[in-house]
Order: sequence, then structure tokens, then C-alpha cells
Amino acid sequence: MGTPMMEPAQAEDSQLVQETLAGNRMSFQLLVERYEGRLFSLARHYTRNPVDAEDIVQEAFLKAFRRLDSFDGRSSFYTWIYRIAVNTVLDVMKRRGRSPVQNVEDPELVGEARPVSCPAPDAGLHTQEVSEITHRVLEELPEIFRTVLVLREFEEQSYQAIADLLGISIGTVESRLFRARAKFKQKLLALYPEFGGA
Amino acid sequence: MEACNQQRALIPSYLDGELSEAQAAPLRKHLLACQDCRNQAQGEKSLKAWFRTEGPAEVPEGFAARIARRAFDGDTGEPVAPLPAQNEAPILRFVLAATSVAAAVLLILAITLRSSDLPSSDRLRADSDSPQQLEEVLRELDRVNAKAALEAERK
Ligand SMILES: [Zn+2]
Repeated sequence: MGTPMMEPAQAEDSQLVQETLAGNRMSFQLLVERYEGRLFSLARHYTRNPVDAEDIVQEAFLKAFRRLDSFDGRSSFYTWIYRIAVNTVLDVMKRRGRSPVQNVEDPELVGEARPVSCPAPDAGLHTQEVSEITHRVLEELPEIFRTVLVLREFEEQSYQAIADLLGISIGTVESRLFRARAKFKQKLLALYPEFGGA
Repeated sequence: MEACNQQRALIPSYLDGELSEAQAAPLRKHLLACQDCRNQAQGEKSLKAWFRTEGPAEVPEGFAARIARRAFDGDTGEPVAPLPAQNEAPILRFVLAATSVAAAVLLILAITLRSSDLPSSDRLRADSDSPQQLEEVLRELDRVNAKAALEAERK
């Protein structure tokens, strides 16, 4: 199975890519089945509408299909498709008038973020309710901040992975996260002052 | 105080699991000894608690098969349409209906015009009939329009 360096799943992915390029539709379907869950998981942090989420994931997979011959197997297929998915999400958000992730309101230029103490979600809240609140707050953040928070906190990507995905340095990831978290706390308390009780 | 500032700056990275053991060990030691920094760390943890995962995302039934079919059919999938697909059908139906009514109007007009050209005793009748017919066609057009608009709205 493939080179000794390759994980078995990675070797299987490469195989499926080759078969897809040779015209095997079923192989592409299997690739989609492998990663659709992770892409839907990403998309749902950007839209609460299931139809919109499906549009985004669909666009990402079709884009990947068209560029499949550019997949060189140096990174894992997952890394490759995930990057396409992140770019697709950000494209769609830009089309919808969200501020782009790069430039404007560059967080490096924004003044020192004031640390605000953050309340934990009330123990009585259900996961679903917490999630609604969190996404409502994220919706209010500039895209530049929402994206680092989604990638770090929900998607549990490492700083290095986030840096690679967004084409920024690790230091920038760190400082963006710092400011994004400060903004998140501010917006949370602005939208839900009842949580600031203590 | 200086030690606190230094250690505090590392707390987010520590909670993100991004510190090397060489950096994490002194921070842990400091946290055990310093209540203020422990509070700070607790605050950061509280923030993270808002990002609770909701479990696996739901994937629509038959999604992969649909995508594979569309990909091989040469569907480019771009861009995400601003109009939901369901709205296309009633609009298309409306356009078709409006077009066919317009064609009927033209046909009736043509017949009316031709008959009005005829030098016959029927001329008066033809004249009095045609506005009536036209009126009815226009009313029919209104009805079709209203129905299509209603359907489009309901979708
Ligand atoms: Zn301290």
C-alpha cells in the first residue's frame, strides 16, 4: 500500500483520486462520503440554514472535482479538501457582503484589546442553546475574527494549520485569536447583559 | 508582577495546547502558586465553554451520490445561487403562461383586425365583439398573473 510514509487512509484517498481522474464516479462518491461530515461541520458555523450549508459544501466538492488533477498527494487529501472548503466558505461570505478575512480592520492595527472577564455559559443552558448564543455572537464579529475562532475552537485546528489555511504567520494567528476572544467577550456581554451578572 | 504578566500571556496558548513542555511546566507551577493568574486562566476556560460542539453535523440523505453525479455531469456548482432553486419553477410557469396568453391576445387581435377589414354587414358585430374579447383576455391574463404570484409567494 503506497509508500511506507503514507497513512493507510491517505493511501486509500490517493487511490480514490486516481480512480476518479480515470473516470470512476463511484470513487469520487466514496471520497465525498469520507469528508462530507467534516465539511458540513465547518459550514454550519457560518450559516444556520441547512440549505445554505448544503450549497457551500456542494460548491466546495465540485470545485475540488474540477481541480482534482492539481492534487499532488504531498499533503493529505483531507488537508487539501479542507482548504478548498475554507476558501469556499469565505468566498460565499464575501459574496454576501461580509468583510474579507485579509486586510481591512487589520487586527494588528486595532488598539490593545481590553481584557474583559468572561462568564461561563449558565449550567442550566442546553448545548443547543449555548450554540445558538455563540453563533449569534460570532455573526456580529468581523470575518477576520470569526474565522480564527471557528477554526480554533470548533474545528480544533492547530495554530500551524490555521496559519497554513489562511496564509498568515503563527504570530498573526496568535494575536488574532487574542483579539478575537476579547471581541467575543465584549459582544457576548453587549448582546446578553444578563450573563454579566456577577 | 512581572512574572505574572509574563505567565499570563502564555495562558491562551497553554489552554490551546500550543505550548512546549518547557514553556508549560513553569506556567503550571506559577498557576499553582498564584490566585490571580488562576482566575485569569479560569476566565479563558469559561470563554472556551461557549464553543461546545453540537455533535456530528447532519449530512442530507444521498448527498455524496448527488454530488458525484453532478460532478460527472460537468456541473460547475458556482456560484451559490442567490435565488433558491424552488422558486424557479413557478416563475418559469408564470412566464410560460403569460407568453401563451400574450400569443392568444395577438391571435385575437389579428383575427379582429382582419375581420374589421372585411367589407361586410358583419362589420359592426365584429367591432362590438372584439373589445369584449380583448377585455376577457386581459382579465384572464390578470387571473393567471395573480395565481402565479400567489404560488410563487407560497413557495
Ligand atoms: Zn500570577
